[in-house]
Amino acid sequence: MANVEGKATAITVLTPVRRGGPLLLWLVFWAGRNITETLKKLETLSFIHYARWAVIERFPDEGEGERLQYSYLLFESNFNGTWDQYIDAFSEVVAFRMKAIWGTSFGFPGPLPVEPFKQYIRRNEFVANHYWSAYPGATTTEIVSAWRVGAALEQLKRRAATLGPEAFKAEYESFLTSVQRDL
Amino acid sequence: MNDAHNTSGQAYGLTVLTPIRDGHETQLARDLDLLQGGDDSPLARVPGTHFARWVVIGDVVYEGPRQRRDRLSLGRLLFTSNFDGPIAPYLEALRTGLGEAADAIWDHCEGYPGRDDPAAFAAYLRRHQVENALFFAAYGDRTVEQVKRSLGVRRDVIDFALAAQGMGAEALQAAFRERFGQ
Repeated sequence: MANVEGKATAITVLTPVRRGGPLLLWLVFWAGRNITETLKKLETLSFIHYARWAVIERFPDEGEGERLQYSYLLFESNFNGTWDQYIDAFSEVVAFRMKAIWGTSFGFPGPLPVEPFKQYIRRNEFVANHYWSAYPGATTTEIVSAWRVGAALEQLKRRAATLGPEAFKAEYESFLTSVQRDL
Repeated sequence: MNDAHNTSGQAYGLTVLTPIRDGHETQLARDLDLLQGGDDSPLARVPGTHFARWVVIGDVVYEGPRQRRDRLSLGRLLFTSNFDGPIAPYLEALRTGLGEAADAIWDHCEGYPGRDDPAAFAAYLRRHQVENALFFAAYGDRTVEQVKRSLGVRRDVIDFALAAQGMGAEALQAAFRERFGQ
């Protein structure tokens, strides 16, 4: 059992969707794909590397797929930090969206208060049997920060080529100031 | 399958559910639990993988009397990967990179053709793929190699900044050139 790999944590949740839910979910996810606001909001939760939702109408098999009485909503996330911090942030920052998504599932108590929501997720969660990350030591913030540092460094290198020592020192100090929050 | 829904930037989110052969669930879970982690994981041999997992789903969850009870006829093995797209070369990288581990795992699943035939292997995973409804990637434009490289650059900048504290202008410029080139 392995939900944790370095700083990364895996979450895998599969919930039964009420009748009529798939249509609502179709709308919610359509909006999610087409109205960038939703994904931007997830970006503000700056500890999610990758996440996905899928609506399973038939569980794939060797034939047409196995249709159960309900559709199922699959959610997976790859994030840094603890499980509790993650659910806390989800329930507080994106409460409305969580309601729109899991509100279609049986037993969803609402994102707040957070304790019943946590119990709900725990009940419907599957622990990964094997989990892997290419950069287990890095948080999402570090990755995004590193990118900014790299871009600023390239800019400094380009400018520095023609500068004398004193002017370079001033440029370097200005570079450090501009990236200090990313270091 | 609408691959646009599985994509964010250049990143691809693969979701595969394969039916576990009757009676194989416990052994499959045990085999997966015993896989080495980190650099020794078979997934470390599949270039382009950011995050991936296998999860044994014995059955769906029953949320109480408000719903009718559902049961899967067979458990499912969930495999998900967040990788540098597109999908076709990645499926081939999975086949060659996982090697024996691919067979050891998916042999527990119905219909698995083995890894000898690249087309059959890829078709098996594609046939059991579920389309994502929403796929989020915080840095979907960046490949694994780019992410790792920029993390290294950030570390270098931190080390340099610490070492260069208090240096005079000439020494600073020389040290910078030596460290980062120009």
